[in-house]
Amino acid sequence: MAQTYEGMFLLDNQVVREDWKKAKSIVTDLLKKHGAKLLCARRWDERRLAYTIRRHRRATYCLAYYEFPPAGIAALIRDLELNESVLRYLVLARDSVPAGELELAAAEDAADFTVPAPPPDDAPDSPSHGVRRREDGTEVDPDAPEGADLDGKLEAAPSGMET
Amino acid sequence: MGSMRRPAAPPISGKFCDDPVLDYKDTDNLRRFLTAHGQILSRKRTGYCTQCQKQLKQAVKRARHLALLPFVG
Repeated sequence: MAQTYEGMFLLDNQVVREDWKKAKSIVTDLLKKHGAKLLCARRWDERRLAYTIRRHRRATYCLAYYEFPPAGIAALIRDLELNESVLRYLVLARDSVPAGELELAAAEDAADFTVPAPPPDDAPDSPSHGVRRREDGTEVDPDAPEGADLDGKLEAAPSGMET
Repeated sequence: MGSMRRPAAPPISGKFCDDPVLDYKDTDNLRRFLTAHGQILSRKRTGYCTQCQKQLKQAVKRARHLALLPFVG
């Protein structure tokens, strides 16, 4: 019996720069080669990596949902490991495709959809990326000491705790 | 005379258990539960029950594997 899987694949930006569809087909062709029924696949994001992977500082994330017999997952993983364009991958079993994913993937397949070229490897990320936010949406000062946003609430407490 | 212990910081989210959907892709949300060094906050600080804290741990570890979050800050 086929199981629905969610796969997140980190793709080398050099391949994405040449052509996004070609980069996407690296993943989709690999899945189809092993007999997966592809439900949807789309570009999730292009980001600066939290740490370098094979000397890459940035990579493009491709998110795919597919149905696959669990017995064949080992062969698929072996091929993913051998592929040099796939920097890293994560395969998770899911009950179903989340709502909205099929629409997003269909929008990407439209003719007028264009994928922006990935920036150079040493380019900084967008200012909003990595900004810590409190529950109310306000930003946390990155220079503030650890837990300062939480401990600040304690300062308002009545003094005299120390003797 | 020694100083008294500091009172515990209030939990970040006491309502989390009502909506325990934590996804490794939602890094902005996950960052709220990390220290400046990228360590996962304790259950005492997050205010989560056992199951939700395990979900948080799993989501953070998946995000780290995909280089969405750092192992060390």
